Amino acid sequence: MPELRKDPVLGRWVIISTERSKRPEDFSTPSSPPEKECPFCLGKENMTPPEVFSIKGNQGNWRVRVVPAKKEFIKKEGELWKKGKGPYDLINGIGYHEIIIETPNHIANMADLDESHIHDTLLTYCLRIKDIAKDERMKYVLIFKNYGFTAGGGTVKHSRSQLIATPINLKRVKEELEGSKFYFDYHERCVFCDIINQELNNKERVVLDQDGFVVLVPFAPRFPFEIWILPKRHSPDYCKISEEELWGLSRVLKKVLFKMKTLLKDPHYNYVLHTAPFRRPYPGYWSTIEEDYHWHIEITPNLSRVAGFEWGTGFYICPVLPEEAAKFLREA
Amino acid sequence: MPELRKDPIVERWVVVYTEEPFYPKDFQITPFAWKGTNNCPFCYGNEHLTPPEIEAISEVWRAPNTPNWKTRVVPNKFPALRIEGDLDKKAIGVYDFLNGIGAHEVIIDNPDHFKGIPELSDLEVEYILKSYRSRSLDLRKDRRFKYLLIFKNVGFEAGASLEHGHSQLIALPMVPKNVKEELKGAKTYYEFRERCIFCDMISFEEENGHERIIIETDNFISFCPFSSRFSFEVWIAPKEHLADFGQISDSLIKDLAKILKETLTRLKKVLGEHPYNYIIHTSPVNTEVPFYYHWHIEIMPKLTKVAGFEWGSGFYLVFTPPELAAKLLKET
Repeated sequence: MPELRKDPVLGRWVIISTERSKRPEDFSTPSSPPEKECPFCLGKENMTPPEVFSIKGNQGNWRVRVVPAKKEFIKKEGELWKKGKGPYDLINGIGYHEIIIETPNHIANMADLDESHIHDTLLTYCLRIKDIAKDERMKYVLIFKNYGFTAGGGTVKHSRSQLIATPINLKRVKEELEGSKFYFDYHERCVFCDIINQELNNKERVVLDQDGFVVLVPFAPRFPFEIWILPKRHSPDYCKISEEELWGLSRVLKKVLFKMKTLLKDPHYNYVLHTAPFRRPYPGYWSTIEEDYHWHIEITPNLSRVAGFEWGTGFYICPVLPEEAAKFLREA
Repeated sequence: MPELRKDPIVERWVVVYTEEPFYPKDFQITPFAWKGTNNCPFCYGNEHLTPPEIEAISEVWRAPNTPNWKTRVVPNKFPALRIEGDLDKKAIGVYDFLNGIGAHEVIIDNPDHFKGIPELSDLEVEYILKSYRSRSLDLRKDRRFKYLLIFKNVGFEAGASLEHGHSQLIALPMVPKNVKEELKGAKTYYEFRERCIFCDMISFEEENGHERIIIETDNFISFCPFSSRFSFEVWIAPKEHLADFGQISDSLIKDLAKILKETLTRLKKVLGEHPYNYIIHTSPVNTEVPFYYHWHIEIMPKLTKVAGFEWGSGFYLVFTPPELAAKLLKET
């Protein structure tokens, strides 16, 4: 009998389909179109727009480099305007769209970077968010990674992340914040802390528990082999991460990405950093966010296709039992 | 300058890329790899390869599960949900479960393996729509069901696992999240203005230069919505305010068949063979009819990959402004 499971934060239902239950070897990575010249390698700096930030190594070469995206979906220059047109609302595309190049070497998958490059990348996330926070027009910075062609990573195989800052709060982020607040209002506890405690007691969905982080397959995943990384220390804001935690996260992230690569034959994937929005006091300002929200990373391998059912309902059909996925990942 | 546009119904923003908009040739569309009729369970003579049929439309007398049908409805061989049993709810700690009660049916559109809706006759498309209506009216007799989702996946990348043209129906024991959001948005608009948002959108499009309208008939309009999530997204809506697709009359079905076929034909002419989904958005069943709602069909071509940004934000990046898409579709 298939099982419907509800995400405790978003209230989103997923169908765990036991009828079509799949194993890791049932998934394959599709081929990608041919690669074009890489603009992200050392020595090709003139192929990108001028850099906005970099971390330099001892020899003076860059280790991590941030540049505006060539196809910018939103731009940072200009006055923000909002207007209505009949029943429609629009605002101009003010914001930031940047590419975080994680290594000067032509390495495709973050799993193959050494820990120090992952550390510098994670540090860059933090420093860019803090810098953009000074721009009063911005409300949120979304950091994410598209690895591989089917995950939207394009044809250039050079490890990088993206950053998009927006002048409006994002729908998905709002839903998560509201879900966490709803739980907190009722229980006076952080829902993510409760999830971590329950998972560590039960262990069947835990993949890793080290360096102050818990890696788990969520109870109600949207996708097969979906993975979350949560800090054990309650904190709503990724930017408040300590240097020690940053190194811990680098080790954990590398280990998890490497397990995924081994088990699922180098799958294409996305990950998204979920962190609190900028907290600028205004009337009706949310004052419990420090206590009710908990930053984390969600990794989603691109193994199944989102189709009419998912678009129509907002529900997902996941063909792998989360407890089994966690077991495979633990052993990988 | 790029534009952020807000959907007038649900709180969803899209980013419209206006600088160098994408034309059909700019998308990397993978051509369909047709496998052929070998052992296709949806072809004439292979009726025994599907579970026993639920109903069929035929122009001649025939025994069930034999050839000579025009459309045929069968249970899904690998159902996401199962029809037997009582609804059972339980919780473990922070997590909620529900057993997978529901129905999952397949509507085989036509006996011809290779024909999509653009290649069928008007009458054949009418048969498909009549099957949708008939299943919708029959399944709602089961009081456990609260929502009947009818949709279609075409092409591997849009989630179709079989290439022979078919549609699907999933009956759910609850109103899904996306539908709830749409109902809530339509209700809020109605309470504020005492008008239907869909009726307002239709008259705004008609009165303001027709720049997003593709086809207009006596009873229907097909247009590229102002806040499309996908490039070349098209909606088809009845001009008459009606919440429930199941209540559609025979004469309206005739008209709908024509505009659906014509719209999909134009999309195919402009984009070539491409993966897409369409979904019938209609009111829930076995509950009060939401008078403020207006059923319609949303057609979503899958020309780009949904990636980290969309997953993290709930926003969408649109490469072809809807006004340009409508112009190309109108002129073809």
